[in-house]
Amino acid sequence: MKLTRRQFLGLVGGGGAAAVIFQACGVPEAELFVESTNQIPEDLVSGLDNWYATLCRQCPSTEGIVVRVMEGRAKKVEGNVDFPVNQGKHSARCEAGLQALYHPDRIAGPLVRTGERGGGQWEEVSWPDALGRLAQQLRGLRDPAALVMVTSPENSYSGLVADRFVTRFGGQRLRYETLESTNVRRAVKLVYGQDRMPDFDIENSAYILSFGADFLNTWGSPVRHARGYGQFRQGDRERGTHVHVDSRFSMTGASADEIFFVKPGREGLLALSIASVIIEDGMGNTAAADALTDGGRIDMGRFAPDRVADAVGVSADRIHSLAHEFAEHRPGIAIGGGSAAAHTNGLFNMIAIYSLNHLVNAVGVPGGVMFNPQPPIRDLPAVSTVSSFADWQKLAGQMRNGGVGVLMVRDADPMYGLPGATGFRDASFNVPVIVSFSNRMDDTTALADIVLPEHSYLEDWDIAVPDHGPGYQTVGFQQPVIRPFFESRGAHLGTRSFADAIMTLAADLGLDLGLPATFAEMLQDGAAQLHGEGRGSVTATDFRAFWNGALQRGGWWDANARSAEAAVRPPALPAQEEAPQFDGSGTFHLIPFASASLMDGRGASLPWLQATPDPISSATWRTWVEINAKVAEEMDIREGDLVRIVSSFGNPDASSAEGIEALAYPHPGVPPDVVCVPLGQGHRGGTRYEKGRGSNIMSILAPRADTQTGALAWAATRVSIQKTGGWVRLPKFENTVPDFPRDEEQEVIKITPTDT
Amino acid sequence: MLQGDFQPKKPTRKQLIKLSIFGLIGLVPLTALVFFFMFLFSAWLGKPMAVFGYDEGPTQPIAFPHTRHVQELGLDCTFCHRNVTKGAAATIPPVGLCMTCHKVVGEGLPEVEKLQAIYDSGKPIDWVRVHRVPDHVHFNHQAHILFFSQRDAIAPSQVCATCHGDVGGMVKVKQARYLKMADCVNCHRDNGAPTDCVTCHY
Repeated sequence: MKLTRRQFLGLVGGGGAAAVIFQACGVPEAELFVESTNQIPEDLVSGLDNWYATLCRQCPSTEGIVVRVMEGRAKKVEGNVDFPVNQGKHSARCEAGLQALYHPDRIAGPLVRTGERGGGQWEEVSWPDALGRLAQQLRGLRDPAALVMVTSPENSYSGLVADRFVTRFGGQRLRYETLESTNVRRAVKLVYGQDRMPDFDIENSAYILSFGADFLNTWGSPVRHARGYGQFRQGDRERGTHVHVDSRFSMTGASADEIFFVKPGREGLLALSIASVIIEDGMGNTAAADALTDGGRIDMGRFAPDRVADAVGVSADRIHSLAHEFAEHRPGIAIGGGSAAAHTNGLFNMIAIYSLNHLVNAVGVPGGVMFNPQPPIRDLPAVSTVSSFADWQKLAGQMRNGGVGVLMVRDADPMYGLPGATGFRDASFNVPVIVSFSNRMDDTTALADIVLPEHSYLEDWDIAVPDHGPGYQTVGFQQPVIRPFFESRGAHLGTRSFADAIMTLAADLGLDLGLPATFAEMLQDGAAQLHGEGRGSVTATDFRAFWNGALQRGGWWDANARSAEAAVRPPALPAQEEAPQFDGSGTFHLIPFASASLMDGRGASLPWLQATPDPISSATWRTWVEINAKVAEEMDIREGDLVRIVSSFGNPDASSAEGIEALAYPHPGVPPDVVCVPLGQGHRGGTRYEKGRGSNIMSILAPRADTQTGALAWAATRVSIQKTGGWVRLPKFENTVPDFPRDEEQEVIKITPTDT
Repeated sequence: MLQGDFQPKKPTRKQLIKLSIFGLIGLVPLTALVFFFMFLFSAWLGKPMAVFGYDEGPTQPIAFPHTRHVQELGLDCTFCHRNVTKGAAATIPPVGLCMTCHKVVGEGLPEVEKLQAIYDSGKPIDWVRVHRVPDHVHFNHQAHILFFSQRDAIAPSQVCATCHGDVGGMVKVKQARYLKMADCVNCHRDNGAPTDCVTCHY
């Protein structure tokens, strides 16, 4: 039969149409099944949702969340309306907890390395086998101090278990924080005599003067601050005034009424100058002024606005009027942190800034700085201590000399976040055994010998104290909202609770932790102590009812249990300025900043967070460098130009010593001598969503530390910018849709003079 | 005019007349045939007809006899279909519920052994659906059951038969009513229930 082209086309078309029609007639096969599950709790009604209160552990601020669960699957995260820290609000990071729970690259059982270190070859073993191997290694240590455990600064029962294990074994424990808050915490201790971070009562404040801290976005407890800020600006009260001082255009700066750019590291000098005006003009608390000036022995005249204006980069008149505004609008709060604390004079800056609160009577009063009391549970750690950069350098040296036998890492990624110049990564090759508790691959886990994947926080129990509490006693209860996802793999595979794993290990080693036998008993013991108090948000006659009540509400708190401690007499201000020191050969100050969604890189494995636009640039998925628009024009740099950021530091290996690459984002709000780069990308290891994506700015930081505390001065690096000639379209939301075409002949609004 | 271009031969006048007569005569039975099959097809989708045993209902992975459980043992519908008064779906009971009795009852029966094997494997049972309304229709069991049982002061399990027929008497469960829109609307009208579109299509 002869088939012409026309007939062929007709047959194909007709066949296609028929296929479509007949396909639409049937019912999809999957719809013709009704599943009868094997086991289901008796009270579970399929199709109806349950909401469980628990804690979000995505970022360190410990917010209360409620999770919607249907048929045993977590579906949605919302803020817990009851929980005092966030009062129903939550962040994108909390939402993305679901993706951490159901991540396709989650590690589903203990792994041991088979190939060379970092080669990515693993063999799955059972939990008893993996824990047995670790116990054997620990028994074989000649010096118990050769055990090093690195965790996040945990204020929780898991943290207590880790503490006890390390101290009873005789090892060392370090607490890791990428953009460390050592200087802020030390200043709080020195200026207010407090061990815990205080609460900033933004909600009831009239005036906020913030220095460097991006407190609405990433610093401290951003959800709590942002909630208070909403009341501060638009609540049922007079609108508060906010002035932000920074060396970068941050989201907090963008929200402020006014933003001042100071020369990097001069925030403390500006604060002292403000203090000098307040004292000089007799506007402040006289007792505090007397104490701060050491009875008049410190000559505040040397910080007078006209003498420091040039060094700070703000005009003398404006410093003067700023001091008056701050002193006259009460209650006002001075908040310092972020890059202001990340210079070699970071502690000096923080002491100067936080001392301002004493001058305006803002310490321990509503609308000011409120102290956080200790929780009423024995032994529960509530004070976040953070290991300083000096500690990490010491550890790196120890590792290099073979002084570390077993390195255990939990909820921290030091291989990613420590500056490349410390050589931490290379030194780790001299450590015989590295153990990671992460349930997803990251830079540290990729180099591990044994991986003991822990439960996601949505599958795990804990009791935790929010680091930035609400100003009264608050204890959060974390409960599993679903059965462990890998439970079906049996008792010897799948994930385990970190605390359970450590307690099993301790039992195997014959260590007495001085704690109840199991983690479950430990939690009940903690709850029983709260029950015994007989006050607060949950009270009950019997313990069972108390336990259920506390789990239902997501924790226990007592709004009347405020700190009884009086503020210490303020210590004298520094007698003279400590000038910041910078390192590196370039012309620009490098100010790295925590990404709004990825934070310090911990969110990089979650696509929702990767795709969350940065609040200033609206950029996603990449590493970019914010540079002043005029400077960029002079250097002939356009948006999306691939530029190389070069410092004279980096890893000893050649690739990063040449600097890192980033996409240029010219922005008029960036000061001309500053470039800003977000943290979070540039992972060498990790899951499919983060590996090999973008660049890691921490890798090229100068190994500079605060002169007094040894905290990493992560804003003390100077860099140069070089064009590479490449161009990549910067993935961002802003300006991707062009403006409406305007018809110049037809005005939308016509303004005419009134007198015609 | 290029080679290969399509050019139909022009029919003669006689051919045209012949064609139109045949066409007109053919059109009537064709239309009737199309309508007939459409009707047959849609009716079939609603409820298969009682020819060649097509209305018997599908064969299930386990031949569960409602007759034995309902007629002989007198179990209430809501004993197994527990959520019928609580939610949109009546729900098929989990395997665990069957096993509360069948751990000991029915030992040795082949179908019960099948059930026990499934329970031990931890897997679900994929039953073949008998009653189904399309995706754009929402049917809520709770509302219907409670309406009739409260109005007529009868037990919830006495309401089921209104739509499902005498399931207790069926060896293989089959569809008893058409459950097409007309069926729904008629019943709504008879019982004074709303007949707005959004009652079901939301």
